[in-house]
Amino acid sequence: MKLETSAFLDKAKEALMETDKVQIRDFIGLFAPLARNAALGNFDKFDQLRDHVKQVKQHTLDNLDCYLGQFEQEAIENGNRVHFARDGDAMNEIVLSICQEHRAQRVIKGKSMVTEETALNDHLIRAGLEVTETDLGEYIIQQAGETPSHIVGPALHKTMPEIRQLFLDKHDLGPRELEGAPDLVAEARTMLRDHFLNADVGIVGSNALIAENGYSMLVTNEGNGDLCANLPPVLIICTTLDRVVPRAVDATAMLRMLVPSATSQAITCYTSFYSGPRRSNDPDGPMETHIVLLDNKRSDILDSNYREMLQCIRCGACLNHCPVYIGVGGHAYGSVYPGPMGSVLTPLLTSLAESHALPNACTTCGRCAEVCPANIPLPDLLRDLRRDESLQKLSPASWRFGTKFHAWLATHPWLYRTLTGLGIPLLHRLGRKRGAFRSLPMASAWTSHRDFPTPQGRTFFQQYKTADKQLDDR
Amino acid sequence: MTDSIRSFIMGKIRRAGRGASVAQVSSELQSLGPAPTPSLISESTSESFIANVLINKGTVECVSDRSAAVKAVADYLYQRFRSHKLVAGNDSRLAAMPWREAGVLPRFGSAENGDAAGLSYARLGIAETGSIVTWTGKSCPATNNLLVEDHIVIVELADLVTTMELAWERIHQHIGKQDKPRGINFISGPSSTADIEGKLVMGAHGPRSWHVILIGEVSGSSLEKARQLAGQ
Ligand code: SF4
Repeated sequence: MKLETSAFLDKAKEALMETDKVQIRDFIGLFAPLARNAALGNFDKFDQLRDHVKQVKQHTLDNLDCYLGQFEQEAIENGNRVHFARDGDAMNEIVLSICQEHRAQRVIKGKSMVTEETALNDHLIRAGLEVTETDLGEYIIQQAGETPSHIVGPALHKTMPEIRQLFLDKHDLGPRELEGAPDLVAEARTMLRDHFLNADVGIVGSNALIAENGYSMLVTNEGNGDLCANLPPVLIICTTLDRVVPRAVDATAMLRMLVPSATSQAITCYTSFYSGPRRSNDPDGPMETHIVLLDNKRSDILDSNYREMLQCIRCGACLNHCPVYIGVGGHAYGSVYPGPMGSVLTPLLTSLAESHALPNACTTCGRCAEVCPANIPLPDLLRDLRRDESLQKLSPASWRFGTKFHAWLATHPWLYRTLTGLGIPLLHRLGRKRGAFRSLPMASAWTSHRDFPTPQGRTFFQQYKTADKQLDDR
Repeated sequence: MTDSIRSFIMGKIRRAGRGASVAQVSSELQSLGPAPTPSLISESTSESFIANVLINKGTVECVSDRSAAVKAVADYLYQRFRSHKLVAGNDSRLAAMPWREAGVLPRFGSAENGDAAGLSYARLGIAETGSIVTWTGKSCPATNNLLVEDHIVIVELADLVTTMELAWERIHQHIGKQDKPRGINFISGPSSTADIEGKLVMGAHGPRSWHVILIGEVSGSSLEKARQLAGQ
């Protein structure tokens, strides 16, 4: 994962200037929450189910040694080879060596954020393999040489004319109309069929690893993941330790939350459970299957105050509801995981020193926590990361001084009230005529973009005291 | 090398854990109880199933017996492809159907690239989600579900269950520990994508159409009600 989070502010500024992209994001910000609400509208027990799934997930994480061991054992009994990878490089190396062992040339991939995290494609391509993404969104951005902007809809930042031009440039199919989404989808289907039929290795991710039976759950709408899992002679499932759930029913209970939150459906077109290589009488399926379990600091997160982040089921709802994500888009974050979940996860998977800009990309509005199907207190975790940032002296000294001073003042209510009781009426008198300030000392971050409204005259506490006294006098 | 990495990672996870015994862990999991299940769209299981298949952009036909199912398959094929060609899995239930009566000659085996229609005999149908359940093996090669233009599925009324939990119960009854199928598939619609500007398009990589034939006594009014529930 190439990390560019330090450039967050610059990229965010640039992103706000791209009017066509702003339009797309505004549409997502408006439409996705409405669609999610409609999908969950009929579901009367959302809160109960959310609590239940959270409890199961917490129980699993509390006893991960037990469940991971059970999954591993079951998966091996099912005929898989199970590999552990400490970091991204290790996962990439394991996958490459499996491909080389089979003298593989052509690799097809289903959508997998984990392999985006480890930059697996680059690694395999450098070694001379042909790697083709088969999820349409991933295929589009692979052709465009870009990275995903959203964890569920990786190419949602691209306009239809852009995709059309991309296909005209990349597919050597002569002159053609190629108008509208159905034409584009049909062309991608034709182009990818050959890849599906001739691939040597298929690589997919996993939405859940079921400890009780060693099956891996794969959730897609296109069916591309299933083609990758069924057609090539070798299948590699690239996933992470925290995907383990105890039972099959836990995986499908989670599915009930995941799908409406991600795509506003009740269930995706294909929800599949794969156990291993083809059985003796099977007419098809891979001859050999591997499961690569990536750690990449997840065991550290498990042992930290940020354990709850491992409950994330990658639905993307927090992105669609985040005013910062909708404002600046996924690429501004400079990391594979954007939006609220990414702002928590990226510093934990890399380091706070590299990515401390991200936990600050938050207005503390709390919408992400409201909609998160895994019930992760994202704003709290972001705040905790900002606190760590301050403790590690990563934020500017003036910020740290400011927050320390404010904290001190807030713990001395008498002084706080006296100072604000002087300041607010003063600002009122100074700005009364214009109704707003164009600039204010120490508040340029605000006033460089918009006017600061003149306070109404007295502080809340002053008004409260007066009202209280009037009540007493009556 | 690999073993030492496994031990290293497992060691870290163990240290972060509570060191509870297996018995303790399983009794704790039991105490969490079952997951809440959503109320069905209708009180009737079959109506809910049909309505959800329609919501999932599938088409449905209800027939009373296997002969009628064969006729329904023949009509569907003719209407869609002006042909009676079909690929079906080596499923004893499919083999026993009176195909000749309707002039359909299925090829029993695996679908190849270019095959227009594939037929599967579902093990189960799930009313909650409008899904059908198949598993891989001779009786249902994966390509028959995935590689064809139109996927036709037969499901029996008696094999409908209300929730995914009940589906797992039935699946676990069918499959023993020794002969777990390679793949268990919940299929809930034709292959679709919304990756281009969020616009829904059918037939991304797999079937463009998904047709479910339900065998059993379903009244015309139930079918009508299901259509209404699905907003059709
Ligand atoms: S943090 Fe919650 S809302 Fe965001 S992707 Fe993860 S599960 Fe979904």
